Amino acid sequence: MIPAPFEYHAPRTLEEALRLMERHGDEAKLLAGGHSLLPLMKLRLAMPRYVVDLGRLKGLSYIREENGKIAIGALTTHAEIEHSSLLAAKCPLLSETAAEIGDVQVRNRGTLGGSLAHADPAADYPAALLALDAEIVVASTADARTILARDFFVDMMTTQLRPGEILTQVRVSPRGSRTGGAYAKLHQPASGFAIVGVAARLTLGKGNKIEQVAVGVTGLGPKPFRAAAVERALAGKSASPKLIADAARHAADGIEPLSDLHASRDYRREMAVVFARRALGRALARAAGRDKAGT
Amino acid sequence: MNLSGAVTLPGTPAQVWELLTDAQRLARVLPGCERLDPDGPHRYKAVVKFGVAAISGKYAGSLEFLQLKPPHSLTLQFDGRGLPGFVHGQARIELLRKGPGTELRYSGEAQIGGIIATVGQRLLEAAARKIVQQFFAAAAAELEPTAATENGRASSRGVSKRRQG
Repeated sequence: MIPAPFEYHAPRTLEEALRLMERHGDEAKLLAGGHSLLPLMKLRLAMPRYVVDLGRLKGLSYIREENGKIAIGALTTHAEIEHSSLLAAKCPLLSETAAEIGDVQVRNRGTLGGSLAHADPAADYPAALLALDAEIVVASTADARTILARDFFVDMMTTQLRPGEILTQVRVSPRGSRTGGAYAKLHQPASGFAIVGVAARLTLGKGNKIEQVAVGVTGLGPKPFRAAAVERALAGKSASPKLIADAARHAADGIEPLSDLHASRDYRREMAVVFARRALGRALARAAGRDKAGT
Repeated sequence: MNLSGAVTLPGTPAQVWELLTDAQRLARVLPGCERLDPDGPHRYKAVVKFGVAAISGKYAGSLEFLQLKPPHSLTLQFDGRGLPGFVHGQARIELLRKGPGTELRYSGEAQIGGIIATVGQRLLEAAARKIVQQFFAAAAAELEPTAATENGRASSRGVSKRRQG
């Protein structure tokens, strides 16, 4: 339970941290909340030569409105996202998702940026960020670039982040009128990770017609994905519980689900359908104003 | 853990067979392979660094080909031990001619133990799938030039007019 030796750096500015990452490339790991990296290091499954601790950086922990969007700093903790009044009013799907992560200790220490950069295939945020069409901002010593959430996740624990880059911000659009969102998750009882997690957001138009719908799924395969077949089955149709139940059947279309001792392939596939139905049902109720919580 | 599937590779079954059974070329396409030394007929000693993102470990062990029926099928047996744990298992590989290429069907079973299995159980299958994908991508890249020549010869003889995508 003692990590292999490593060189520790605690930069005080983002520029300093970026220079360290540029110098050490993929031999360095960034430490944010430490809830993924430190257990791996203690078990010596991860043995980075350099650890760059972002804990002393100022100015990367915030939730604020910026140019019509909501910008969230990478070092914002899950608990801050869970309890933010700004998010509760303008993007409650994200708060609802953060509230489902791990336990209180994890939510108090773990950060949005850390979780996204680690890209665990069963992490919760990716489902919500996909459903929200979020943008992810990353910086390097040379420049900053913006990556769409749907392009960001490449494979298990692999993202578009290049060595030397640091994830700095996530941007989401505030919800419009008659829009509802929900995150429904089957918890793995020991770790709290998602066996399956489904985030849904939909907007109603005239005559209860579904004008926009987005469904993000995590935990099912090696990387999170948008359930395009479910979205197609709903878009432009008149919303009803039957329509949602039928559409949810496509939640695992085209995906070969993972299998482990907690959940077999077939069970995961079936649970994706069940939790897609629940998330969509709640999102619809909220869009129609029948349920106060959630986007 | 069971892993099975099929992938289409460029080149004839004979060319794919050659790649699989040539230690030097196999070492080039095996993800993370640091050493692959002959240790008897169709048997090798291997040092392989497997990893996904921050999690990686070095494994030393053996690799053996059994039940060889060139160029149709073989069984691959592997055994490895490293700091994060151990792995052993076997895989059945079949090569079938498919148009100008070869369909490789695989079906394998692996036992994994040690720390990696205790804490990483949740991630093992995704990691294994990724390594298998990397292997086939590298094998396809390795086979591409010889396959192109072979098909070039074939079409010049008028045997195949099918164009390669």
